[in-house]
Amino acid sequence: MNLQEVFYGAEDLISPGLSACPGCAGELTMRTVMKIMGKNTILGVPPGCMAGAGVVGWNRLSGAKVPITIPLLDNTASMLAGIRRYYQSQGRNDVRVVAFAGDGATADAGFQALSGAAERGENIIYICYDNEGYMNTGFQRSGTSSKGSNTSTTPVGAMRKGKAQHKKDLPLLLAMHNAAYVATVSPAYVQDFVRKIEKAKEVTCGLAYIHVLSPCPTGWWFDPKDTIKLARLAVQTNFFPLYEYEDGRFYQTVSVKQAKPVQEFVSRLGKFKHLDQEAIADLQQWTDRRANLLQRLCAESPA
Amino acid sequence: MTSTWISPTGDEGIYQIDTGKWRTFRPVINRDRCTNCKLCGYYCPVSSIKLSNQQQVHIDLSYCKGCAICATECPRGAIDMVREGEE
Amino acid sequence: MPVVKALTGNESAAHGAALARPDLIAAYPITPQSSVVENLAQMLADGKLSCEMVEVESEHSAMSVIQGAALAGARTFTATSAQGLALMYEPYFRMSTLRLPMVMAVAGREMTSPETIWGGQQDTVSLREAGWIQFYVEDNQEILDTVIQGYKVAEHQGVLLPVNVCYDGFFLSHLTEGVEIPDQEQVDSFLPQYRPQHVILDPQRPMAVDPMTPGNLLMKYRRNHLEAMQTALRVIDEIDADFYRVFGRRYGGTIEEYRLEGADAVLVTIGSMTGAAREVVDLLRDQGKKVGLVKVRVLRPFPLKRIVRALRSAKAIGVVDRSVSFGWNSGALFQEVLAALGSQGMVMPAVSFIGGLGGADISNDHMLKALTTVLEVSANQAAEQETVWLD
Ligand SMILES: Cc1ncc(C[n+]2csc(CCOP(=O)(O)OP(=O)(O)O)c2C)c(N)n1
Ligand code: SF4
Repeated sequence: MNLQEVFYGAEDLISPGLSACPGCAGELTMRTVMKIMGKNTILGVPPGCMAGAGVVGWNRLSGAKVPITIPLLDNTASMLAGIRRYYQSQGRNDVRVVAFAGDGATADAGFQALSGAAERGENIIYICYDNEGYMNTGFQRSGTSSKGSNTSTTPVGAMRKGKAQHKKDLPLLLAMHNAAYVATVSPAYVQDFVRKIEKAKEVTCGLAYIHVLSPCPTGWWFDPKDTIKLARLAVQTNFFPLYEYEDGRFYQTVSVKQAKPVQEFVSRLGKFKHLDQEAIADLQQWTDRRANLLQRLCAESPA
Repeated sequence: MTSTWISPTGDEGIYQIDTGKWRTFRPVINRDRCTNCKLCGYYCPVSSIKLSNQQQVHIDLSYCKGCAICATECPRGAIDMVREGEE
Repeated sequence: MPVVKALTGNESAAHGAALARPDLIAAYPITPQSSVVENLAQMLADGKLSCEMVEVESEHSAMSVIQGAALAGARTFTATSAQGLALMYEPYFRMSTLRLPMVMAVAGREMTSPETIWGGQQDTVSLREAGWIQFYVEDNQEILDTVIQGYKVAEHQGVLLPVNVCYDGFFLSHLTEGVEIPDQEQVDSFLPQYRPQHVILDPQRPMAVDPMTPGNLLMKYRRNHLEAMQTALRVIDEIDADFYRVFGRRYGGTIEEYRLEGADAVLVTIGSMTGAAREVVDLLRDQGKKVGLVKVRVLRPFPLKRIVRALRSAKAIGVVDRSVSFGWNSGALFQEVLAALGSQGMVMPAVSFIGGLGGADISNDHMLKALTTVLEVSANQAAEQETVWLD
């Protein structure tokens, strides 16, 4: 599909009125993903902001035009694997089974189930919107919160300065599981985004994993109008590199010629407001190290 | 399908919250500056930017939350945020 | 033609499950259950069974995979014990409250701590408020037959609930007995294909499963769930009778009454301990003593009316538990039976016996001690009784 078909042609399969915050990148991503997936899809959205915003519905009403359910916080990949296995056994391979899960449901509570499903090669499409925390329950720390993040369980005070650990790298972990397809995407890089979701949609053997960095105005403390700007900056600073993994090979899909300093991204977010130069240098070093690792992984793969 | 009250299911319609009521500012397209490049619609979190029969972008305000992403992303600065109740 | 084979309890469960033609099996190993699923895996490898088999990474995922498949319309099976069941708790509760029929075999095992791998009923008894139907069976033939009956009960349109078939770990799971394996065609005619009407995840019929539900509506679902449980009491008895007509075996439905004519002292048992109790009842009856036995085959839903009817002319009762009720200083079944009698205004001396925990045996001697105690109590009608430990 070209961009116009996706964004102006395809039917919005999600209820038009969800109570996600204004400027939420998670809502944008979920709508876009479903426009690409189409009607022949079963959607699983575990507890988190999107479920909380009403996409699974309210009493006898549904929040989506496709079959949808709310798995547990910790079993999304297993539950969806069961659905998919049954459809495969019935010869209905055309029914796609898609997870749209937060980073908490993915990296923490649900990681065991996801790891098992990836290892077994369950043919589901798993999309993680990473807003770097448990937002629905009030902005608590998660395994993917960046170091220094001021969250409600890692608050800033006289003695402590936010989260003490660096972010868990989920897409790399999934690549190391030999998932059939792994990609990082950003709502700011639309062409790249659409191409990767379409690719994930066509995976017929094994698990497809998509990780989207999802700027969250409410939890990160920034003006909702800047959601896309920040998503773009995260890529331009190498804080969130865009790449994909397939057949044992890594490919950088959006190359950043002259990466901007991470400070440009970090300084715009309230949750990092307290960081001193040393803390920012630490984040820069972590960013460089990962960019370097990715570069080497990509260099091992033919262009 | 009528309710059976056996399994908790939702199949009696679409649940929608009236998010259009949330707005304090509304986006207004300045037709003089808009080149109809359609970029704004790629970033609208609520899919409120649509094409008219004449293939012109327009903003359906029914569910627009007024986040102003479209105004920020428009490369021509063709979308103004106007306080609700003002012209 | 049905064939008789020497089967362990776990093999009996596996045969019962295979005969029910499940669409999907997902399970995780745990002693003493493991060989149920190993047997099914071998049948699959040998081409004797055709279904999806998911070798999940935990019991939590076993129940989750099954839940997904069941929501898509599958007939499913799993088996577990103790710690596995505990790990399942979150999706386990949800299986019943989503009203998804299935059968899960449980080779009962004591709950850790102290660290143990041996038999007991604490695992399933502790989960009797999770909305499942729970059968407790006595021997290997009953395991196989109850798995088949279980699907028919679970999928009954007035029931639509998941079923546990609980049998004592090691005592049955690893004990070999002669078991008649019914014909596939017979089972097929008894147990038709299942297609859910009340809930489905299918793009051809889009619906939300489990939208956010406010309390006043939630209560409506709970109330229906409770009513379905009551319907199940009748359905279980009917299906046991149907089963008898096709296969020539029956188990009394929700309870079995044994030699109750004119009995003054009655023992109430659950699970494999019933075998020893039968022998002791026979022994004492031979001596002219007025004793009898009630086997509780279904703990959930609780067969209140039938139990009350069975016990109404007893002068004293004793209840033997293979689990405890923390906080009551007695066995769990004991409390249930007392509640049933009390709800009908029946008061009689009753003794709680606890034995067989953590793999300990409940021997004929234990049962003799129990029944003799109840006989004494029936004679002297002493009202208050201490819990008796069969150790
Ligand atoms: C087993 C369990 N523990 C805790 C919760 C409470 N809970 C609901 S949503 C949530 C956080 C989800 O975070 P994430 O997956 O990152 O999604 P987000 O809210 O950020 O969208 C938690 C902890 C739960 N639903 N289940
Ligand atoms: S808290 Fe963040 S992720 Fe959650 S709905 Fe609001 S903007 Fe979206």
